[in-house]
Amino acid sequence: MNDVLLELGKSPAARRVIGSLGLPIPLPEQLRRERGPYVARPLAERAVAVASPQGGTLVATIAQTLAAAGANAWLLDSVDAAAFHAPGEAYGRPARLLASLPEKARLDGLLIDATALRHIGELRLVFDATAPLLGRLARSGRVVIVGREGVAEREAAAVQAALDGFVRSVAKEIGRIGATANLVRVVPGAESRLEGVLRFMLGARSAFVSAQPVVVDAAARLIEEPAFVRPLERRVALVTGAARGIGEATARRLADEGAHVICLDRPSDDGPLSQLARAIGGSVLAVDLIDDDAAERVAQQIAGRGIDIIVHNAGITRDKTLARMKPELWDAVLGVNLAAVERLHAALLPHLREDGRVICLSSIAGLAGNMGQTAYAASKAGIVGWVRAESQALAARGITVNAVAPGFIETRLTAAIPFAIREVARRLSALGQGGLPRDVAEAIAFLATPGAQGISGRTLRVCGGAFVGA
Amino acid sequence: MAAAKKKNRAVIVAGTRTPFVKAFGALTKVDTIGLGVAAVGGLLKQTGIAHKDVGAMVWGGVILPSGAPNVAREIALDLRLSPACEGMTVTRACASGLQAVTLAAAAIERGEADIVIAGGSDSTSNAELKLPQKVMHALAPLALGKPTPAAYLGALAQLRPLSEIVPQRPRIAERTTGEVMGEAAERMARRNGISRAEQDAFTVRSHQRAAAAIASGRFASEVVPIETPDGKWVHTDGLVRADTSVQMLAKLRPVFAKDGSLTAGNSSALTDGGAAVLLMSEGRARALGLKPLAAFSSWAYVGVDPADQLLAGPALAMPLALERAGLALADVDLIDMHEAFAAQVLSVLKMLASPAFAEQRLGRSAAVGEVDPSRLNVHGGSLALGHPFGATGARMVTTMANELHKTGKRTALLGICAAGGLGAAAVLERID
Repeated sequence: MNDVLLELGKSPAARRVIGSLGLPIPLPEQLRRERGPYVARPLAERAVAVASPQGGTLVATIAQTLAAAGANAWLLDSVDAAAFHAPGEAYGRPARLLASLPEKARLDGLLIDATALRHIGELRLVFDATAPLLGRLARSGRVVIVGREGVAEREAAAVQAALDGFVRSVAKEIGRIGATANLVRVVPGAESRLEGVLRFMLGARSAFVSAQPVVVDAAARLIEEPAFVRPLERRVALVTGAARGIGEATARRLADEGAHVICLDRPSDDGPLSQLARAIGGSVLAVDLIDDDAAERVAQQIAGRGIDIIVHNAGITRDKTLARMKPELWDAVLGVNLAAVERLHAALLPHLREDGRVICLSSIAGLAGNMGQTAYAASKAGIVGWVRAESQALAARGITVNAVAPGFIETRLTAAIPFAIREVARRLSALGQGGLPRDVAEAIAFLATPGAQGISGRTLRVCGGAFVGA
Repeated sequence: MAAAKKKNRAVIVAGTRTPFVKAFGALTKVDTIGLGVAAVGGLLKQTGIAHKDVGAMVWGGVILPSGAPNVAREIALDLRLSPACEGMTVTRACASGLQAVTLAAAAIERGEADIVIAGGSDSTSNAELKLPQKVMHALAPLALGKPTPAAYLGALAQLRPLSEIVPQRPRIAERTTGEVMGEAAERMARRNGISRAEQDAFTVRSHQRAAAAIASGRFASEVVPIETPDGKWVHTDGLVRADTSVQMLAKLRPVFAKDGSLTAGNSSALTDGGAAVLLMSEGRARALGLKPLAAFSSWAYVGVDPADQLLAGPALAMPLALERAGLALADVDLIDMHEAFAAQVLSVLKMLASPAFAEQRLGRSAAVGEVDPSRLNVHGGSLALGHPFGATGARMVTTMANELHKTGKRTALLGICAAGGLGAAAVLERID
């Protein structure tokens, strides 16, 4: 499970030796991560360069977000500085011109509002804003481009789609310093929901989220002034498969943000499950989801207090090539990974409160397909369609339904993969390393917050910019 | 006004303080309790109040003597007040003195006491050097048990390396962030765009006004002389420099950052001193034939994140106190702000004047307002007079109560910033 190259890369001496010998050994960058619960100013003292070619339409929101989150904004010439004046004054974070930042100073983030771009020629402005600054990006830095979703006009649609390819490629270019690049696409009318998403994308909590577009829309009912600190206070959450790995990390993160977490796993995992529940002040539900009456039993337990957040994390792999796959293995995988989600969801739906959250675990394997994982990939791709459909059904009640698709994560499951394959899988991401269960838990926790109200029906990858994937 | 309707209104009758002297100066040998004894003793003498009538003592302090942390009780005992005069000591960093005074007012208005002396003192010169916790833990078995020779050796072994057991130099640093207060003020200067020149000009004004007040005898009734253990008497404040100028201050080097703007000149100095205020129920004061000077219309204590703008508290507390008093900033005749650093006062003034700050941080549609410099710190402030942490709040209450009484003005607003991201404010109104 130990990543030897990552450990080696922590030593400056080893880095120097390998560099000067010209050895073809990739030394992944130790990612900057944040411990503990959300803070009021997750971007405190971070230097973020801001560009808005052709006068981006979301500059006011960006100015407000950065100042309130504690970031120091450094403006490129394209930005209307007047929009930054009031937030800067209110939070004591006056925005300054990037030209006045000392040449040596590193940038923790580069934020480009590309929403106003309509003509293909204007893509050049994105190149102009990005290219000279990539070299100044700090380790674990962030490139975030804000674009538009739902553009009908032909040329503008091409421009907005081009940003996707741009961001994915930038992510691969800057991955070696632990930096990420993402595209946030805002549907007209969803501007007020951008703040929470930017806080996540620009902060350390999105350490393993890279090379992808995230759509922010206005489908789910609006939450006014979402809480960014202790956002899950007085919420009740259910996490299935909570005994270890991603489930355990998720339960801990949700509890960190104030939620009461009901930890569900099989009765045989009673030991670690009880330990976890005790540690986070949650409760235990020992149920095997494969049982026919499992969903009913969970619903009975939930019925009294109601539920706000459901994390369908429990899942199994039974990897075999299709030629060798036995029907009972196929049934088991589809049964736990997909059918159990559907059954449990249906049983809990009457108890799910307004502005609730349903978060499912998909997988990069489901998005990209994988040799020997036909059943697993089918179940995980099924999740993508499931959340898309159910999000529409629940939008009016303010409930969002999303999936998280982990890439290579360092867990008990992946530790069992043969060394050579594991090593390749790790290095195939832009960040050149596996993620931690905590990284997935961060993404799930983010989707569970009121600040993520603009994201529903989507699948968020936590894969470090995997070589494959949608 | 709110206070006028109260049946049992608490009123400020008088206040006195010791001279404020730079730490390790003339008052080095007078400890926190001694400073309190001098301030309270002077107050009793000046007002001629009978010792038996003082029902309670509330004291504020920051560097409390570990052997006798309830300074209030020690002062009462040392002054041979009635044993029935109970005492409590509070700490709220640099707002401790104001906290003590408002606690006394609240106790009177709740009918818990009729006559209370409140105030605060601090002797920075007598700050105790702290042994690192490691030493304490290693030596505990020797001090508390019946040690064997082996135990001595064991304790010694635990004390290595020696570099970790050297007593630590006291720093005014935040426990949570480790940031020294001057560094926080330096960052505030930068973030709020406060120039060195503005800070120095503000500092010069503070000195000039304090010097003028001393020269005119304005402080004569407020400052009582104090005798040191060597038998010397200290009569006047030691830090005020009538002859300072912007040119002189401009020569000082920044002390908290290499390219910074805060200097020893435009920062308040470590100071020894004590201050006391006599509060009574209005009925009792009138019955005793004493003239009430002022009463509290309101007060407010707030907290901000120490990791952000550590000393911005007054920008939130002052509007809140005004709101509770039903007043606008423009209605206030006098404003007295604790001057921890010129940069901090000027930052807070900027926040109060900012419509954006009002809208986003206070949820108001209009700025709190511009503070008229002619109403602000009319007799100087902590930059010139010094800042014995626990005493400053009581000093401000006394000076403003007297000012309202002497000038016939109506209201005064007080604002104090404090460590831990705390802010304090109060509104005083004159009593006819």
